[in-house]
Amino acid sequence: MRHPSSLISAFLDGELSATESSQLHSHLSSCGKCSAELQDVQRVRSAIRSLPVLDLPPDLMFIGDPNVVALRRHRYVLAGAAAVIAVVMAIATIFSPTQPTVTMDDLTSRLAARVSVDPAFGPAKLMPILDPGGIQE
Amino acid sequence: MKRVIPLVLVLIVGPAVSAAATDLDDVLDRSREAAYSAEQMISCATPDGFRMILARVKQKGSTINITSAMGGGEEIATSPGFWSRTGEGGVVEEASIGIEVREVIDIYEVEELGPRLFMGREASGYRLIRDGLVRGELVLDDETGAMVRATTFNDDGAQYCVRSFVTFDPTEPDLLAREVVPNEELTLVRDDASGLPEEVAGFTLLDSYLDASGLRLTYYSDGFFSFAIFQTPNRIELSEAVHVDFEGFRYSREFTPGQVTYAWEVRDQGMAMVGDLPPDLHEAVLDAMPKPIDLGFLHRIWRNLFGPR
Repeated sequence: MRHPSSLISAFLDGELSATESSQLHSHLSSCGKCSAELQDVQRVRSAIRSLPVLDLPPDLMFIGDPNVVALRRHRYVLAGAAAVIAVVMAIATIFSPTQPTVTMDDLTSRLAARVSVDPAFGPAKLMPILDPGGIQE
Repeated sequence: MKRVIPLVLVLIVGPAVSAAATDLDDVLDRSREAAYSAEQMISCATPDGFRMILARVKQKGSTINITSAMGGGEEIATSPGFWSRTGEGGVVEEASIGIEVREVIDIYEVEELGPRLFMGREASGYRLIRDGLVRGELVLDDETGAMVRATTFNDDGAQYCVRSFVTFDPTEPDLLAREVVPNEELTLVRDDASGLPEEVAGFTLLDSYLDASGLRLTYYSDGFFSFAIFQTPNRIELSEAVHVDFEGFRYSREFTPGQVTYAWEVRDQGMAMVGDLPPDLHEAVLDAMPKPIDLGFLHRIWRNLFGPR
């Protein structure tokens, strides 16, 4: 019999037939390597079994949370409400009158009328209005 | 003996100052009554770069016509309290105000700089001093009174703008005063609803106007430089603005030749400052005005959809 590593785990799990168990015992009695392997596997299993059993934290038990269950239950209602809000905002954007903006021309137009009665009034106060861009560098 | 010394100093210094000083109103009055045709160039070294404009100017007293010497084909015509911009298709825009305005109390000391020659013509120079700083140098043609050159300065003595004639014809132009058309009229408001300060950085609030759209113009002057504060229920757009920060507050700024515009938003209105004051005075003026706020995303959407509250 070759070294039956696969049978060692099955043996420890009680899954071998009587014949297989007998053959394994015969091999173990004459094979130090397999005997040592059996002892190693047994030690690991004992160590694992000796670890304490812990309870799961309550916040990991979300599946049973009634709030989550309620949200899941109403997800179609919420999705529908979000869609309605989006449609209302889109309609308001399209159909509401565009708010007017004030431009530089609007400002300088008013300013020019007032500047025309300024004591320091002269062409220089008006020229920026004629060509606001001028030459820039 | 101790009492005599101050008296002697007054006797010596007093006449010397009065001989060199003149009144800014007198200088500006002469300039306003001038009649001539000219090409005028304005060039300004601003914090955002160089700005320049060249225009043809005709002045006959308080009536002034300006056309661009750089193309465009538009003409600006002004009479007291009225201005219009005319293009090839007629009047493009115009505005008028009542001409009852509050008198400016200037804060300038004026020094006469004596005779000058400008374009081969006899002229006189004047220096404008504000709070101990030279803010302007003016050259007036002796014959016509035209202000043929004006240089304005920052507080560090650097030139801000030079406004100079490059051609000059002292002949009185054939210029008719335009009839004042009360279109887009600005109504003088006699209240303090603007909430703006009466005095700021040496400038005095003179008057406030409203137009039909709800746009309010409040005008400030120190006797030479001037600016207007605009308050409007709508957003103000500057096409080529840069963003600048003063004291942690952000403004949009656009320099044009001889003029600066700042725009910002407060909670329920757009605001702008437009004027010809030198750059070192901008921060002091803006600091005295309502500060910009950063509107939240939802607030912007609401305001864009439904306007200010």
